[in-house]
Amino acid sequence: MSSEKTNQTVQTTGHTWDGDLQEFNNPLPNWWLWTFYATVIFAVIYWIFFPAFPIGNSYTKGVMNDITYKNADGVENTTHWNTRSLFMKEMQDAREMQKPYIDKISKASYAQIAKDKDQSAFAYSTAKVLFADNCAPCHQTGGAGVMGLYPNLVDDAWLWGGSYQNIETTIRAGHVGFMPGFKGNLSAVQIDNVAEYVLSLSGEKVNVANAAKGQAIFEGAGGCFACHTKAGTGQIAMGAPNLTDKIWTIVDVQAAPGLAEKKAVVKSVIDKGVSRDMPGWQGRLSDADIKMLTYYVHQLGGGT
Amino acid sequence: MANEAVTTEQYNYDIVRSFTIMTIVWGVLGMLVGVYIASELAWPFMNFDIAAITFGRLRPVHTTLVVFGFGGSALFATSYYVVQRTCQVRLWGTGLAKFTFWGWQLSVGLAAISYMMGYTQAREYAEMVWPIDLLIAVTWVSYLVVFVMTLVNRSQPHIYVANWFFISFILATALLHIFNNMAVPVSMFSLESYSLHAGVQDAMTQWWYGHNAVGFFLTAAFLGMMYYFIPKHVGRPIYSYRLSIIHFWALIFLYMWVGAHHLHWTALPDWTSTLAATFSIMLLLPSWGGMINGIMTLSGAWDRLRSDPVVRFMIVSLSFYGMSTFEGPLMSLKSVNALSHYTDWTVGHVHSGALGWVAMITFGSLYHLIPRLWGTKMYSEKMIFAHFWLATIGIVLYISALWVAGIGQGLMLRAFDEYGNLAYTFIESVSFLHTPYVVRTIGGLFFLTGMIIMAYNVFMTIRKGRVEGAALDAKLAAKLANA
Repeated sequence: MSSEKTNQTVQTTGHTWDGDLQEFNNPLPNWWLWTFYATVIFAVIYWIFFPAFPIGNSYTKGVMNDITYKNADGVENTTHWNTRSLFMKEMQDAREMQKPYIDKISKASYAQIAKDKDQSAFAYSTAKVLFADNCAPCHQTGGAGVMGLYPNLVDDAWLWGGSYQNIETTIRAGHVGFMPGFKGNLSAVQIDNVAEYVLSLSGEKVNVANAAKGQAIFEGAGGCFACHTKAGTGQIAMGAPNLTDKIWTIVDVQAAPGLAEKKAVVKSVIDKGVSRDMPGWQGRLSDADIKMLTYYVHQLGGGT
Repeated sequence: MANEAVTTEQYNYDIVRSFTIMTIVWGVLGMLVGVYIASELAWPFMNFDIAAITFGRLRPVHTTLVVFGFGGSALFATSYYVVQRTCQVRLWGTGLAKFTFWGWQLSVGLAAISYMMGYTQAREYAEMVWPIDLLIAVTWVSYLVVFVMTLVNRSQPHIYVANWFFISFILATALLHIFNNMAVPVSMFSLESYSLHAGVQDAMTQWWYGHNAVGFFLTAAFLGMMYYFIPKHVGRPIYSYRLSIIHFWALIFLYMWVGAHHLHWTALPDWTSTLAATFSIMLLLPSWGGMINGIMTLSGAWDRLRSDPVVRFMIVSLSFYGMSTFEGPLMSLKSVNALSHYTDWTVGHVHSGALGWVAMITFGSLYHLIPRLWGTKMYSEKMIFAHFWLATIGIVLYISALWVAGIGQGLMLRAFDEYGNLAYTFIESVSFLHTPYVVRTIGGLFFLTGMIIMAYNVFMTIRKGRVEGAALDAKLAAKLANA
């Protein structure tokens, strides 16, 4: 910058404030002025090609900027450039790009999807987003769920069944999971014994005599067997969990340090019961979406 | 020293002193809240599940304390000082000026408390509920009256350039504040209200306000500060009077149009978006006019960069001003905005302006002003150097962290895989932000530390000034007694 030179030759405006405040009257720097003109020219060109100025109830539309798109119902429309049409056009391109995959997947069986590399990759990519949008709020992004609230989908233990058909039914219709509380129906001692028996089913070391008393209640007066079966392996038709697989979904038995603590958490479930509700997605997602989501969730748990 | 008593009478320095002290107080508090909410973003447990200190409530506390508390008080202080010095007349209306002080401090304090209690109008940078808005309106109009009457009473034939910027800032802020906050209270005794504007027009009004708060409050007004303190401190004339006129009028004409660039790709009509984007581009050079005039005024005093930390603050503030007024028009282009909007890039951009420009020029000006207000030298020049380095390093860390955060986030949110599906989930973009958020917090911590050092330095300077003043008075009294 050639300021030093100009500063010495240029006069001040002759005004002085506050003792010594003065102003030189240097001309506008040329580069500044010409760059400013350039930004004005840029703006004018922009105004010619894009919607820019309001006129009455309308506005200038800009020239040579038509966008033609088909909406979701296949109706074609041509308009001047605008952000809405730009979006519609992008959605149309995406739809057309994805259509061949979706058509194939809609007709294919789950086994066929799993076998076809392209279809399975497409289903996985689409369902990952569907899962994040629809399922992750409860089951978490990775599908690990929340102990006591939302079932874990990655552990290969399925309350309502882990076959493709089971999972699809679950997603379409949702489920209401219910176990009554036994406090009041069974005495505290009885509940204590049942808890000990339940723990023994998954191999915990318990008082054998107490567990035997608990077993009698489990298989008799308590009525636990009606859902969990006499073997304690549960029934997917009722969403009754398997009590022998060492997988706990309502209370974290594994994390409880000793027998007393383990018993306490199991007893809390027997006392209060469990009530859970998953809504159905039928009508909210398309058939193809549900199919891809089923494939994805099935794969999360390693399949059955 | 002897004429200090005279100047004190000639000019109303009391009001300048009060605002200067509150600038420091709000600065420390506001930046402290800023660092705290930055750490909440990096480590969410710091909410401690207490509603009053969650990010949502503390964020407007931070912006209000730094923009209106720190920035606003600095502007009151410097504008009252500059208008008196350059008009060679005492500030008009001592009582009314005092009212502007208490009205302003009360507004800022009440705003912060009400946000923490959960009361908000939910308008960005105008979250104050309607009774506080009324108080601000009355205070601001009083400010206008005091300033204009002082200009009218001037004993100088010409109005100095800094005062044009101050007066445009005061006028525009009154206009913006009143129109943006027009609302109907739910009832006389309710703090809630309904905006008088609706739908996209409401959003448009909000951003017309929001961006011009940046344009007139945080740019034009601080240019006024720059136009006095830089030439005064280095003892050199302003580089170009002509440039100052042209860039002043271009700046205030163009700024009013650009607010809509905060609403690209929304329900806002496309023509409005276009106008906002193009006027933002045309605003680049008028903004730079101030930077050129500042830097060219400093040119010739470069040797003082070595010895004078105040000059360092000034040159760095102008550099950040130039950088962020380049970045702004860039981000206002629709295609760039599609990437940058709703990301931390925007937050980084605001801070390069707010920390780099607004705070740095304020620090420079205050370090010039404070010794003159209390009739002494700054307590420690070393501390000013330390403040300068802490602030500069803090800004650089802050801005680079948020460039990484914002651009990374923007790219992740719109990345598609080969099948046309989103490549990342939202939560993946959130976990990506953790590291940049930590670096941002560290940057903020640097800046806050500098601010605290300044507060201590100023406190000691004032104490020193009072002791020296008392000694002088005693000497004078002794002389009078002898005579």
